[in-house]
Amino acid sequence: MYINQLNLRNFRNYEQLHLSFHDKINVIIGDNAQGKTNLMESIYMLAFSKSHRTSRDKELIHWDKEYATIEGNIHKRKRTFPLEIVLSAKGKKAKLNHLEQKRLSDYIGALNVVMFAPEDLNLVKGSPQIRRRFIDMEIGQIQPTYIYHLGQYQKILKQRNALLKNLQRNKQLDRTMLHVLTDQVLDHIAIIHEKRFLFLDLLRKWATPIHQGISRHKETLEITYDSSARVSEDWNKEKIRNIYQNKFFEIENKEVERGTTLLGPHRDDLMFFVNGKDVQTYGSQGQQRTTALSLKLAEIELIYSEVNEYPILLLDDVLSELDDFRQSHLLNTIQGKVQTFVSTTSVDGIKHETLVQAELFRVKNGMVVQGNEGE
Amino acid sequence: MYYPEPISKLIDSFTKLPGIGPKTAARLAFFVLNMKEDDVLDFAKALISAKRELSHCSICGHITDTDPCAICQDESRDMSLICVVQDSKDVIAMEKMKEFNGKYHVLHGAISPMDGIGPEDINVPSLINRLKDEEVQELILATNPNIEGEATAMYISRLVRPSGIKTTRIAHGLPMGGDLEYADEVTLSKALEGRREL
Repeated sequence: MYINQLNLRNFRNYEQLHLSFHDKINVIIGDNAQGKTNLMESIYMLAFSKSHRTSRDKELIHWDKEYATIEGNIHKRKRTFPLEIVLSAKGKKAKLNHLEQKRLSDYIGALNVVMFAPEDLNLVKGSPQIRRRFIDMEIGQIQPTYIYHLGQYQKILKQRNALLKNLQRNKQLDRTMLHVLTDQVLDHIAIIHEKRFLFLDLLRKWATPIHQGISRHKETLEITYDSSARVSEDWNKEKIRNIYQNKFFEIENKEVERGTTLLGPHRDDLMFFVNGKDVQTYGSQGQQRTTALSLKLAEIELIYSEVNEYPILLLDDVLSELDDFRQSHLLNTIQGKVQTFVSTTSVDGIKHETLVQAELFRVKNGMVVQGNEGE
Repeated sequence: MYYPEPISKLIDSFTKLPGIGPKTAARLAFFVLNMKEDDVLDFAKALISAKRELSHCSICGHITDTDPCAICQDESRDMSLICVVQDSKDVIAMEKMKEFNGKYHVLHGAISPMDGIGPEDINVPSLINRLKDEEVQELILATNPNIEGEATAMYISRLVRPSGIKTTRIAHGLPMGGDLEYADEVTLSKALEGRREL
């Protein structure tokens, strides 16, 4: 799939913008603070209806305007259709084919986008919460019921933690309700684990060969699931449920003492190993970046295997941070099949044949000039 | 203050009702001013008598003007069957169906530790007492199909289990007369889970 037209009105620092894109590589060049990321952000928003940078939609509207619109023309499965996001103080509207979609789940998925930005390094370096969000969001895109189970799980967890706090204060209270909530949470835990493990299998299938390629077969990437309850990926739903049931029984007094739930998918994590070493702790900056890149490229293949079309790739300010070999490997893998947007301060550091065919966009202070003019 | 005091008081009273905002409240208040005095008096009396003359049935907790309520007094009903619901409105919904001939028990809420609502804060103790005295054989748990309703049903079934009384949970799945294509994913997957052999 690709986006062939983008219209912005009052979005961030763009008052009015109308662009036509190349269906393969588009390079956005400009100095710092000119609006390169804002352009990337607008395409990201068309896909997810929210920004990757902020949760306050007001920030996205040009500072002295009332509303902002993003319009895109998407080509997918041999058809072309418009997507539109309207932002105003009253709220947000998402339109697919000119029709407003009341349920976000009906809108998200029309356009698939994978973004790789400098902050994605946190996927490897950052806190477990970031990695949990990554898997939860990815599975959510593929399996709508996963979001439901995750939501139910979090609600029951809140109830269970509130009850554990009560029990902590008053140890004489009856514990039947705790057992009920434990029972209730077990089904969701088992399903969340099952779906996460299935997703991990897919992620490994794609990320491992990609990582080998990027590292010239010098590095082997392993991804493991760090489970707070020590459950194994080989177990089925029923076994996971039983193990959790026993563990919750064993740690009941400890949980009451601490006043909170000590086990569950909300305490799990992903671990990445390169040649047997934990990348988060022992990896070099370059290895961490390569790992993050492998995960993102795997995401592209994952989406392809689900929807049978490649998503749009947004590379925000990351190409210049990769060495020559990694750069050209990246550009070779996406060459000819993925519509890609690359933002950079200068093309000088990037030597690759794909850039020769690329469409150039020069961004300066909220204005965009297409082509090589202005050089 | 734009309004004279009597009418602003009336507007304030209307805004206390659910679903009524300041504008609707003002519209209702001005409508009351133009109503016939007799109608207004009847309205006021209806409000007061609904509050004063209605109480909760001492047996099942349903709203009633006689104690015990008409359903609890009705001897033609099946004493061995109790349907447990969260709200008086649920009893009305069940009664409209005209197919259930047992008795009810209204909990007035669901257990929710997050909101500080424990089993003692809703009508659970009175239900357990009822089970001791009456000859109940089956308890139908018809609490709402959300987390709190589900947890409350599970809690009650655990409390009742030692007594040997049969407890059942109402089914969940697709609404009748609806189209499969309009059902959301979660309801569909629940319906699939609860499928039965024909």
